[in-house]
Formats: sequence, structure tokens, C-alpha cells
Amino acid sequence: MSTDESGNDPEVAGGSESPSDPEVAGGSESPSDPEVAEGSDAAGDVEAGRNHTTMGDAVLRIRGLNAGYGDLRILTDVDLDVTDGEYVTIVGPNGAGKSTVMKTVFGLTTHMDGTIEFDGEPIHGLAPERIIREGVGFVPQTDNVFPGLSVRENLEMGAYILDSVPEDRIEEIYDRFPILRERESQKAGTLSGGQRQMVAMGRALMLDPDLLLLDEPSAGLAPDLVTDMFDRIDRINDAGTAILMVEQNAKEALRRCDRGYVLVNGENRYTDRGEVLLGDEDVRQDFLGG
Amino acid sequence: MATTEPNLVDSIRARPGLTLVVAFGVLLLVDLVAKLAGISVGPLGGSLSTGRLGSNLWNGIVIGLVIGLAGIGLSMTYSILSFANFSHGDLVSTGAFTGWGIAFLIAAFGEQPIRALLSVRGAGNVSPGEIGAHVLSTPVAVLVGLVAAFVITAVVSLALDRTFYKPMRDRDGISLLIASIGVALVVRYVIQFVYGSSRRGVTATVDASNLVIPATGLSINAHQLTILVAAIGLMLAMHFMLQHTKLGTAMRAMADNKDLALVTGIPAERVVTATWILGGGLAGASGYLYVLLRGTIQFDFGWLLLLLMFAAVILGGIGSVYGAIAGGLVIGVVFTTSTIWIPSDFNEAAVFAVMIAVLLVRPEGIFGGVSTA
Repeated sequence: MSTDESGNDPEVAGGSESPSDPEVAGGSESPSDPEVAEGSDAAGDVEAGRNHTTMGDAVLRIRGLNAGYGDLRILTDVDLDVTDGEYVTIVGPNGAGKSTVMKTVFGLTTHMDGTIEFDGEPIHGLAPERIIREGVGFVPQTDNVFPGLSVRENLEMGAYILDSVPEDRIEEIYDRFPILRERESQKAGTLSGGQRQMVAMGRALMLDPDLLLLDEPSAGLAPDLVTDMFDRIDRINDAGTAILMVEQNAKEALRRCDRGYVLVNGENRYTDRGEVLLGDEDVRQDFLGG
Repeated sequence: MATTEPNLVDSIRARPGLTLVVAFGVLLLVDLVAKLAGISVGPLGGSLSTGRLGSNLWNGIVIGLVIGLAGIGLSMTYSILSFANFSHGDLVSTGAFTGWGIAFLIAAFGEQPIRALLSVRGAGNVSPGEIGAHVLSTPVAVLVGLVAAFVITAVVSLALDRTFYKPMRDRDGISLLIASIGVALVVRYVIQFVYGSSRRGVTATVDASNLVIPATGLSINAHQLTILVAAIGLMLAMHFMLQHTKLGTAMRAMADNKDLALVTGIPAERVVTATWILGGGLAGASGYLYVLLRGTIQFDFGWLLLLLMFAAVILGGIGSVYGAIAGGLVIGVVFTTSTIWIPSDFNEAAVFAVMIAVLLVRPEGIFGGVSTA
């Protein structure tokens, strides 16, 4: 797959001398080539500046975003795109503001400047409830289940904004994560870390979002569960949900994603297809431990 | 607690406070058995009839239910709104005065001036006996009064939220706590202004209102029975609401994790509104029932009761609705049975001693750490 990619536009920092064979990544599960192509176009957009070139299927479009907490600015002029069905990951050193990007999309930080558009509509300043209605799901990094609620109740809360509990949707989630069906009436607080992560994802998928935000889904998981978790994310993406993921496990994340952003000190540093970033000497040296 | 099998000496060494508490508890238990058996050994023992013990326990359960019912709202505001609400006690008074005003109005409509009835005082020389409010003689009035207490207090509670607490929604717990002390003062003195500051009798006495259970000699008052049924009914309704309705589940979710509730799309303001309505309503109902139990009313009784409510809620595990009920029962039973050993003037001290003892053993409270579950 994706060997026909010719447009590896050199990125923002212009550091990607090594063309690097995309196949190095091996087993890349990018859903479809056109989207990858779109992704590169989007990156080109970033390069070109902030002109609002219309992109047919941009789901999330962030331009010149400045945000932080109170007076503290974390993000400076961040640009980021996720196209329809795309799998995008944000990597970078600790404190780079990776999670802040996600929280800002969800209206949980102080928005200072710039635009966040979802399906062409500006969403910054909207209440989280509205953003969920627009079709964005969010799985926070920690404390992402209601421990005192049963597994089923956790899922039901994910569909709170609907008038009635969507039984068929719950069944779909159970089909995706069969262990949750077994644990249906068990309190989420008594589950293992991996199972909790499934509950959290299931909850966020209840409304069948167009875009799923995942904040370090592998954090705190035992190593053998990490691969399993990434496989599940691949399958969610294969089913058509666009994904924006922040990951500490940068190598694995870049291997799996369609496109990656490297964020440093709250600014865009590199943007390219995941395999290209993985093969890039500078990126490897600086952020992936050689 | 530790999962390994600890040996006794080690555990005594590790927790001397706990050991002391347990030893004292065992001593009291031995003394109680000796008293019941009529044996007297040195300072231990004496005499105590099973009837007296039975009625102590029964009275304790009834008071405990009232305190527990009031404590539910206190615990909910703590877990969902994240502050200790010191105005809760005065909501209890609000329910008592407004509810009994309505009950009087129905019980003696046309016989006494409406204004005197609504303000729960005899006009001129009218005594509570002449109004005749009693569950056996005027059952409809007493029951409608209970409903009115719930509804009116819920409305007052919501109005207080919109006026005082809503503008402070994002403030920290300490600011809200201090604000709530101010709200408590406002409510208390509005009550004093409207209803007067005198302590007065409310319920009438009716002959043959005691049900005596033959074998035990236990005497159950009709009003106590009313409280038992009403309090347990309200608690069960609350349980059903929390466990089996969407709103109740959302309330538990918000008590569990507010940030996650926010990103899940749970409408926080709606849950907060429900919290004030239900917590306030239950406080009002419990105040009304407390007057039914005591037979008297005065403008600051809710405030005085607040300390016991806090004790119950902390004992049960603050934030837990079931903990509030359990804590209320423990407090109630200790309150009445402590008179076996100490003068009744000191029974509040006994309550707090037990609270401290329980917290030594379980610092998170009986139901602690499970929030509204």
C-alpha cells in the first residue's frame, strides 16, 4: 500500500532529506490511498501559510491556534488537519502541548487565537456538549471511565444527549469489545487497565463520531496489551472513523498512522506521513531515541 | 487494608488507637450484657430492662432515619457541587415551617385565622391541641404537609442556588462553603422574621396513639411509625432514581468524575438543578418529620441539627448517599443508647466520640471511596 505516493513534500522544518522507503513501516494499515494523498495536500497547505484553500473532506482544520491555561500560553500558531477517515497522530517530547491540542479542540482550555473548524464550521468556544453533537468523541488520558458506574452505564452515558438508549449501538460496541459484554454489569472501577480503556473508547464511540480524539491510549497498559490496543484503534479507523491520537509510544504510533505531526514547545516542527517521519534522521535523533 | 495475615501483636503495635477503641467497645458490650443479665461486678453491670434497650434502639433508628434523610442532600451537594453546604440545616427548618403551615391550614381551616395557621403559631390562646394536627386525627393534613414541605423546600433550594451559588459555580469549595454560611444566616433570620423566634408545640396529643408490642414491652408511637414509613419510602425512591433512571445515573457519573462528565456530554447544569431540587426536597421533608417526632418547632433547630447531619455524612463516607443513611442510623442509635451509660446531656459528645472512633478504623467512612454508588 501507499507505495505510489510521490508527493512527500518536504516539511515545515525542511529536515526530511532522507526519502525513506514507506514500506519500511511494514504492515501499515492505512485505510485508503486517496486519504493519504489528501493528508499530504493538507500538509502542503500548512506549508503555504494560512490561506483558506478549501479542502473537500477536511474533518478537522486548525489554523494559527494559540491556547493554554489562564494566562499561560502552551500552543503557538499550531496548524493541524485531519481529513475524512484519516488516522493522524501527534508526537513530541513531554510538555510539547500534545494533549493541549486535544483539550483545546474540546473547549477545555483557554482559547487565545486561531480557528478550529469541524466539517467546515467553527467550533472553538462551543460547549463540549455541542462539540459532541457535531460528531467528535474524546477519550481522555486518565480517569476516563466512571468508576462507580457499571460498564453498561458508562456506555449509556456516552449517548446521554440522545433521547433513548441506542441498544443497537451498545451491541455494536459489545461486538467490537466482547469482554465488555461479559462485564456488562460490573463496576468500571473494578476492571483492569486494558478493559477500562475499552470502556472509555466504547463510551466515546456511542454516538458514532466522525472524529475520535485519543489522548495516549497506551499509557499505563502492560506491554503485551499495547499492541492489542493499537490493533483495536486500527479497526476503529478502518470502520471509517477519523482518528487524532496523541502518543508517548511515538514509533508505534507513527508506524500505524496515516500522517504524523511532531510538536515541540507548542509549535509545529515536522509534518509528514508517519513512515516518512519514522525514516527521518532528525526526527529519529531528536524524538525517537535514534 | 493489608492483604497478608497480620499477627495480633503486630497489628496492636501498628495501630494502638484502634486497639484502644476496640477494647473500649468490647468493655461496653460486656457491661451491656451484664446489665441486661442484672449482674453487677465492681463498676461493671447494673440493671437494664430489655424493654428500655429496645426502646432506645427503636428511638435511635427513627431519629437516625430523619438525620440520614437530611444527610442525603448534604452528601449530594458535596459530591456533585464539591462543597460542604452549611445552609443545608436551614433548609431543614424551611421544610418544617412551610410544611407544618400547610398541615395546620388543612387541619383547622375555617376554625382559626389563616395567617396564624400558615405561620405555625396559635393565634392568641390557641394551642396545638386545639388545632389538633396528628397523623391519627388529621392524616390528610399531615401527609399533604409532608408533600408541601418537600416541594416548597425544593423550590427554595433552587432559588438559593440561582441567586447565590450559580454565580459562584466555578469557585473553589472554600469560597462556596463560606458563602453557604452566609446563606444559612439569611434563611434562618428570614424564618425567624416570618415565623417568630418562640419555641412552640406543634402536634397534638391523641389518646391511644401508642402501639405496644406485647412480648418486648416496646411501645411504638404512631408518629414514629409514620416517620419510619415516610423516610424509608423516600430513601427507596431516591435509590430507584439514582440506580435506574438516566438522570440518576448522570448524577452518579458527575459525582464520580466531573471532568469526564463534561466531555461525555452530560449537561452539568441540569444535573446540578436536580441535585438542588432533590437534596433540598429531602431536607425539607426530614425537617417536617423531625417536628413530627419531637412535637415542637423553633426557628434554628435545623442549624442545631446540622452538626449531627455532618457527623452522619462524614461517618458514612462523605459524598455517598448510602453512607449518609448508614451514618444517620449509627448516629441516631448512638445518640439514644448512650444514655444507658451517660446522662442525656452528653449524648452529642458520645455521637462525636463514635464518629472519631469509626474514622480511626475507616478514615474514608463506612461507604467511603465509592461516591454515590
